[in-house]
Amino acid sequence: MTETIGIWIAAFLTLCMFSFLYKDNPFYKFAEHLFVGVSMGYYIPYTYYNAFIPYAYNPLFLKKEYILIIPFIIGFLYWFRFSSKFSWVSRYPIAFGMGMVGMGVPMSMHATVLVQMRSMMLPLDNINIILIFVGTISILLYFFFSKAHEGVYGKFTSVGIWFMMVGFGASFGYTVMARISLLIGRIQFLLGDWLGLIK
Amino acid sequence: MKFSDRIQKVDRRIIYVILLIAVVLPLVFRLGFKTYTTTPVENLYRHIDAIAGKDDMAILMDFTHDPGVLPELYPMDLAILRHCFERNIKVFTISFLPQGAAIIQMALSEVKEDYPNIEANVDYCNFGFKPWSTKLPIMLGMGDDIAEAVETNSEGLKLENLPIMQNMKNYDNIQVVVEISGSSMGQFWVIYARAKFGVDVAVGLTAVMAADVYPYLQSGQFVGSLGGLKGAAEYEQLVDIFAMNGLEFSKKKARDMEWVEAQYEELPELAQLYKYNKARIGMDAQAIVHVLIIFFIILGNIGYFLDRRAQKKSM
Repeated sequence: MTETIGIWIAAFLTLCMFSFLYKDNPFYKFAEHLFVGVSMGYYIPYTYYNAFIPYAYNPLFLKKEYILIIPFIIGFLYWFRFSSKFSWVSRYPIAFGMGMVGMGVPMSMHATVLVQMRSMMLPLDNINIILIFVGTISILLYFFFSKAHEGVYGKFTSVGIWFMMVGFGASFGYTVMARISLLIGRIQFLLGDWLGLIK
Repeated sequence: MKFSDRIQKVDRRIIYVILLIAVVLPLVFRLGFKTYTTTPVENLYRHIDAIAGKDDMAILMDFTHDPGVLPELYPMDLAILRHCFERNIKVFTISFLPQGAAIIQMALSEVKEDYPNIEANVDYCNFGFKPWSTKLPIMLGMGDDIAEAVETNSEGLKLENLPIMQNMKNYDNIQVVVEISGSSMGQFWVIYARAKFGVDVAVGLTAVMAADVYPYLQSGQFVGSLGGLKGAAEYEQLVDIFAMNGLEFSKKKARDMEWVEAQYEELPELAQLYKYNKARIGMDAQAIVHVLIIFFIILGNIGYFLDRRAQKKSM
């Protein structure tokens, strides 16, 4: 019974959302606001019970791990964002966070730059490697603006544009597929779970 | 109004209705288009299948996605879990999003109802939701000791006491981390877990993100990928034709459509359940809509060129 009620509510809200395709209306507005409210309502207590209690409250107050007072205070400084006079204090935890990002720089350089460059430096013994090589070089040169794109150099950089166009086309095709997949998912729900037309 | 103007100014609501019909009809009257598998999906399947029956190896599935992308990613969740349960492969699940934890529960309970012998904390272990801010300590900590880095499962039980953890220590016991998300979370695993500890990483992504991972596939930093609904449909098929029939993976056979069709005829009832075919049925609608969109693009261009020619003539 509970499941049936849930399915009917979900179906009603889905139709409310779809009604925007005709034009903006109160049903759409209602569903939109409900979505925002429910998302936040779900997120806040879930984070409180699954993040604050096990990682801050329990270790600090029950297990007496007093070393946690330091990150606790650093985190607490974020609340000064709400004070116009003392908002500068909140920059300290932000600075701490930036330091944490710095920790990832060497590993990030390795994974996203060095390994990717290494995979470019292969013997040009098959058509795929040749295409990747030509594509990478021509696109890099296209974005090199200290030399005018003229003559043979200009023609070679225009090859880079073609490679980019193919890339944009692939991304666009995938984007269409993604959006249609979302529509298919909702229609599968309406026809299957709600109306029982597909099993 | 001229023909060229009319086809360029079609009311968008008419297009929506045509799209709706193009989606609904293939879902109700199944067309059964063939699914052709691709190398990134086959590589992930083979990689996971390689540890079938091993007690000291597992895969880690990271469900860092929310309900907004379920139509694309949920069939992947089900297909990979079904593969693991069918082939006796140990699974760990984790999510760094609160919503992802609920999706893990939903996926596990949906697949588990067809595999009553599969036991929690013995055949699989759900680490549950871990706050986003603990992502780095957990990713790095698992390189030394999984039980120490993750600490507890979703029920609050200490990992070190669970049966599944008796032969598991660190990333050496993880065959592959499968990141299923609509974001670039997979790159975090590459940067922190793969770069430092060498663990293999694969991704299941929404189609919007799928084109971005090809450089990482080419460099071998991702061992495989599932791109959107198409990737999920391919994985569903591989699970059906190999895992459900108790067969070892073979790329040659996977590409032989006659052999594939023959395997479909011998499938057990379990494989024919709607929930395990959702992506493939969805791809039927997807194919029709793609043809329709191509038709609309061609029609729009015809209108544009006719219009331009008429303008040139009038000048």
